[in-house]
Amino acid sequence: MIGLDRHLRRHFDWMLTGLVLLVAVIGLVNLYSATRHVPQHGLFSTQVVWMVIGAGIFGATALIDYRNWTRVAWILLLLGIVAVAGVHFIGISVKGSRRWLGLGGLRVQPSEFMKLAVILAIARLVHERDALSLFSRVSRVVAIFGAVLLIAWQPDLGTATLVGLIVATVALVAARRLWPVLVGGGVLAAGAPLLWWYVLHDYQKLRILTFLDPASDPSGAGWHSRQSIFAVGSGRLFGKRWLHGTQNQLNFLPEQWTDFPFSVWAEEWGFAGASLLVLAYAALVFWIVHIARQARDRFGATLCVGVAAMLFWHVFVNIAMVTGLAPVVGITLPLVSYGRSSLVTFCIALGLVASVSLRRFAR
Amino acid sequence: MLPFLDRPTSGTGLPELQRRGGLVVIVLGCAFFLLLGRLCQLQIVRGDRYYRRSTDNFVKREPLRAVRGLVKDRSGVVLADNRPAYDVLVTPRHFTPAARERLARLLALAPSEQDELDARLARARDPARRGHDLGRSVVGIPDVDRDRMALVRQAGAELPGVEVRDVSRRTYPYATLAAHALGYLNRVNARDLEQHAGEGYDDEDFIGRSGVERQWESYLRGKKGHEVYVVDARGRRKSDEAAESLLGGERSVAPSPGHDVVLTLDVELQRLAERAMRKHPAGAVAIVDVTNGKVLALVSKPGFEPNIMTGGLSRVEEEALESDPYKPFVDRALQLTYFPGSTYKVVTALAGLASGAVDMDDEILCRGWHELGRHTFRCGKAHGKVQLAEALTQSCNIYFWEVAVRVGMDRIGETARDLGFGAPTGLGLNGDAAGRVPWRAAYEKAGFRIGHTLNTSIGQGDTEVTVLQLALAYAAIANGGQLWVPQFIERIETADGRIVSEPRPELRRRIAATDAALAELRRGMWGVVNDPRGTAFGVRVDGTTLAGKTGTAQVRKLQAQPDASWHPHRDHAWFAGWAPADEPRVAIVVLVEHGGKGGHVAAPIAAEIATGAAELGAIGGGGGVVAVGVDPTAEGPLAVDDGPVAVDDEPVREDGDDDLAAADDGAADAGAADAGAADAGAAGAVAAPDEGAADAGPLSDGGTP
Repeated sequence: MIGLDRHLRRHFDWMLTGLVLLVAVIGLVNLYSATRHVPQHGLFSTQVVWMVIGAGIFGATALIDYRNWTRVAWILLLLGIVAVAGVHFIGISVKGSRRWLGLGGLRVQPSEFMKLAVILAIARLVHERDALSLFSRVSRVVAIFGAVLLIAWQPDLGTATLVGLIVATVALVAARRLWPVLVGGGVLAAGAPLLWWYVLHDYQKLRILTFLDPASDPSGAGWHSRQSIFAVGSGRLFGKRWLHGTQNQLNFLPEQWTDFPFSVWAEEWGFAGASLLVLAYAALVFWIVHIARQARDRFGATLCVGVAAMLFWHVFVNIAMVTGLAPVVGITLPLVSYGRSSLVTFCIALGLVASVSLRRFAR
Repeated sequence: MLPFLDRPTSGTGLPELQRRGGLVVIVLGCAFFLLLGRLCQLQIVRGDRYYRRSTDNFVKREPLRAVRGLVKDRSGVVLADNRPAYDVLVTPRHFTPAARERLARLLALAPSEQDELDARLARARDPARRGHDLGRSVVGIPDVDRDRMALVRQAGAELPGVEVRDVSRRTYPYATLAAHALGYLNRVNARDLEQHAGEGYDDEDFIGRSGVERQWESYLRGKKGHEVYVVDARGRRKSDEAAESLLGGERSVAPSPGHDVVLTLDVELQRLAERAMRKHPAGAVAIVDVTNGKVLALVSKPGFEPNIMTGGLSRVEEEALESDPYKPFVDRALQLTYFPGSTYKVVTALAGLASGAVDMDDEILCRGWHELGRHTFRCGKAHGKVQLAEALTQSCNIYFWEVAVRVGMDRIGETARDLGFGAPTGLGLNGDAAGRVPWRAAYEKAGFRIGHTLNTSIGQGDTEVTVLQLALAYAAIANGGQLWVPQFIERIETADGRIVSEPRPELRRRIAATDAALAELRRGMWGVVNDPRGTAFGVRVDGTTLAGKTGTAQVRKLQAQPDASWHPHRDHAWFAGWAPADEPRVAIVVLVEHGGKGGHVAAPIAAEIATGAAELGAIGGGGGVVAVGVDPTAEGPLAVDDGPVAVDDEPVREDGDDDLAAADDGAADAGAADAGAADAGAAGAVAAPDEGAADAGPLSDGGTP
């Protein structure tokens, strides 16, 4: 790692860092507005502190050679499974959802880190696929699906769906042959109705039903969705000015600092600001795909594809949700939503990408 | 470190990615394009619409209700006032079941109050309701006391969606006094909103239901304003500077209070009249200023408590009131019509004099009975030879029957019309019934009988009047012939005293009677109270002069008068007259429904009112006195016979609404069954068709104690 200096200067990915920084700054500016009139104090300063910590984590992860992670990938997945199972039994509930583990005063959401563990595991699987027997390959695929199901059972259906989407995306991009992926996907899709009866909770069913027919519950679950659409739409072209979004400032948006920060942003900055943020995310995702194509090994490339998928699905699902294109699920907006676990997870993920980028020409 | 199998060349890490890269880019591009398209749709295409929706979220327009105008008596005493009150409001969106339970516990709500609260909430949540908005507060518990108001205010945030609003509520300081004339209010209903669409009523307004409150609603209600303010998502009001700036210059508009209505009513006189009626459960009194037609008192018994009516009744209370046999909501002074009985004899007298069929000095012999065909019509007693004035004094039926036979029914009808009977008085309050003046033509189809004319001449048969009509007619006789349009409004003024409208007394007509004829009538009616032979001589009070005519209107043929104080078949007791006797100031009409004999029951009430009014100074001295000559000594005193007269069995029609046609059918039947006694039989049958000819007997007023 010594002697990396020259390398660093020559190959440091300014594009990636710049885009991440842009999104993070937008996130902080927006969070200041979103948390100004909420009863909880100190949300903004906490986020600033964790942004700084996150920057450190990003840098550190970038400096570590990503290839080191191959050795611990399965161990991390195992740890993640244990942690998620732990949440099921001894987790801390916040607003009725049990998603956190107490860790010496800090609250950690293991399902967030589970995403990373799954991405690392699938990257290693893709990386060493040629050296593995069919049995080994199948057993590892089963292990990864087991992790996804475990998250669903926790229960955190949003995250489980998201991890499932990441796994599916990586599989579609990185599989040598597509037919096993498509057949497997088809089988799973056929089994999806079972979810309705055996996995989904009533509140989750209600959200989906409300999404399909918003008029069925205009004051309950549909209320959040409608208010979010009002917020986004009322921003019109140039917005209501920072700190002047009425839907935000008068608390018509639910949890506007975690699930609905995009509505706040779109309301106060209008179509101009909203499309800027969407384009920034798009640029970031495309850039990560670009890095993946340049990666010099399969592990690094798959890692980048996984992170790009994670970033993309978070952004897509969250924005679709707040604009009424998807049911209301607790999916955060990367680097913009308030939340330590989410922030740290994305800093590590983007650090990994930076690490891959930094070493694309290394011998 | 794991061996890196596919090292070392850069850019070939994942050949599948290279292969599928183009597709990945296209898919990602489509996805982001979808998001941008959605943003474009929401923010640009539909932006203005959502902007309005978000503005509607936080801008609340609350109507500011105008303070209702006061109702005052002629000297400014407030009869209908406003008091501060508190409504507990609930906002359906924020008023959770838990909050409802807490509120019920906190205020210890009675089950009926809880039911009402739930009903109001259900109505507010009904999506079909006009202006449906879960974020708008509605009245949950109306008119709570100060203790409850304080409890709710203290609870504050523990009761989401609950607030207290200061309101003003109608109150009637004199409670039941003049309840019919003043009327009452209650909340508008769906039908009112439909009827008064465009007049700015909303479902929390009150509206005048009867009396002055209803008639002068448009003056009293004032003009609503509205308040504009900003609320947050939980409905909490924001009043800081930032919130104000969100209103974008929209300003609140202050309401303008309603006008005050000053009545001609005299609260002291009203109280006096109501007190005089204290012994009787049902009846009416009208007191009218004879010099200008101003109504000074209007009593209708039984009354009701407008304060309770205005607060809103429970269903049980409402049903109890509606099934009350006394029908307390009917205004007996204006709305109901009654047989006037002997008080109507002045009409027959004037008809006779005007037509020349009889002269004031003509004497008619009363032997105590009158034969008509096979039937005998009886008078109270044998009065001997009587002239007009004496006939009135003693209420001699024979005299008026004779006059009636001479002038005919239609001549009596014309005079009645001239005196204002058979048409609404023009007061315009509480229905103001027309009453009924019978015409010969109406009987022709079924066969006219002279008995119909006889019935009419003494205010029976099909003759029906209202108490106020009688008062105005007697005022015209007392004041020398001026028939006034009754006036109930002294003036209408703004809350700060500026006069909006001040109606002048309005003369309806000068009646056709000559001054001499009217003077003769007055002389006769002076005797009713002040001549020992008079039918109300027993009630005279020294120092008070009262004049007038008693009446005992038969409701139904009875063998014996029932003992109960009020019975649906008993005679109505009347007194119609004026005071003071020789310088008339006020006309007084008293009706005691099913009260019995006019001279015994109604006249004492009139005397008590006249005495009281004199003490109050309401009728003593002062200007506006009509000077009319009454010479009590013109006739020498006759033998005193104050004894009650046996009332003949006589069929009289029920106090119902069966019309002339129905009565005529009965008359035809009766006539057929009782051939040979056509006239008398028909006369009876007209009165009580259902009782048949067998019961048909001579008519008599009998109101001559």
